[in-house]
Amino acid sequence: MSFVNFSKREVQLKIVYYGPGLCGKTTNLQTIHATINPHAKGSLTSVATSKDRTLFFDFMPLVAQAIDGYTTRFQVYTVPGQVMYNTTRRLVLRGADGVVFVADSQWSKTAENVESFADLEENLRLQGDHIDQIPYVLQYNKRDLPDVAPVHYLEYTLNNRAARRPAFMAVAPDGRGVFETLNMIARMVLNRFVKQHSRREAESPEMVLV
Amino acid sequence: MAKVLNEGDVARMRKVLLELLDRSEADGCVVCDSGGYVLAQEGRGTTDPLLLSALGAGVFAASRELARILGEDEFSAVFHQGERKSIFLRAVTPEVLLVIIFSNTANVGLVRLYASPAALAMRAVFEELDAGVHRDDPERAFVLTEGGDLFGAAPPDKDR
Ligand SMILES: Nc1nc2c(ncn2[C@@H]2O[C@H](COP(=O)(O)OP(=O)(O)O)[C@@H](O)[C@H]2O)c(=O)[nH]1
Ligand SMILES: [Mg+2]
Repeated sequence: MSFVNFSKREVQLKIVYYGPGLCGKTTNLQTIHATINPHAKGSLTSVATSKDRTLFFDFMPLVAQAIDGYTTRFQVYTVPGQVMYNTTRRLVLRGADGVVFVADSQWSKTAENVESFADLEENLRLQGDHIDQIPYVLQYNKRDLPDVAPVHYLEYTLNNRAARRPAFMAVAPDGRGVFETLNMIARMVLNRFVKQHSRREAESPEMVLV
Repeated sequence: MAKVLNEGDVARMRKVLLELLDRSEADGCVVCDSGGYVLAQEGRGTTDPLLLSALGAGVFAASRELARILGEDEFSAVFHQGERKSIFLRAVTPEVLLVIIFSNTANVGLVRLYASPAALAMRAVFEELDAGVHRDDPERAFVLTEGGDLFGAAPPDKDR
């Protein structure tokens, strides 16, 4: 659920990075934060354990000129991946306008990826969203590691719904695929936002074809 | 669908918040929703309202879970006390939260006292919003700005 302030001419949109523990969600944000144009970013805040595992979430605001006459703010979050933090994941997912599902490409992580995707689907459902209705993209991360599954296999296991979604290969610490992923989800979220807000006109009586 | 605030909503909230700050002698306040969106902001001490909202929404959600463990419906307010500054979080609706920041020269009793009517007054705004009462929203024509990628890495030499 996006937020519009006509008085301040500002649109706020929320993007959540989701995926199993240690797949590289936090690293995506760190790479974006370290390399993005300074005028586009706010500070990166992590609510983490002493061992650097995400406890609550990471949060980073980004600002863009994406809608004519409005300032567009993207609030970017990551969820903690560990299975036991499901309550926290639900909290962070609230009101999300778009999701990046980060998968760990290693063969050994196949089951965790699938479990996490099912968990995303379920948590979206619990908040009244449906995975097929919300903008999301997939990112197959850690492509630099030796024992990774081929992309067609990841597509087969994770990107197998009726509508195929954009998917990107990535090496998050090196930046490979990181901005491609971010730009695609931002684009998809914006397109949906604009479409939802033009619907009123489309629904006006003279436009309805019976 | 989006939550939409028009000039009228913003003006009404501003009035409520300024009155609250004036009476309670608090420094500043932010109104946010459970998803972490910043809905309104007034006063000082809120230099990073986006982060305050993200964390405030998180704190409040966590406190709601704590309440559930105790068999309470929810805690209507949460208070964090610091050496010099403190923060008071007050539920406005189940989805909206009022975050008040104050120096410890102000009185937490006053903050607590005036937070309640402020929350009630703002609840009315959001209930009307949800009910779609006499909305007079501006033309909702959003046009995407032309251009290539929204975000990209800064050129390396800009770091110097
Ligand atoms: N080799 C390799 N390591 C990565 C990659 N992405 C993340 N990592 C490492 O994986 C670990 C977990 O990453 P993190 O971002 O904290 O995972 P999160 O739990 O999803 O937030 C860290 O040690 C990262 O440096 C990658 O693409 N390749
Ligand atoms: Mg993390």
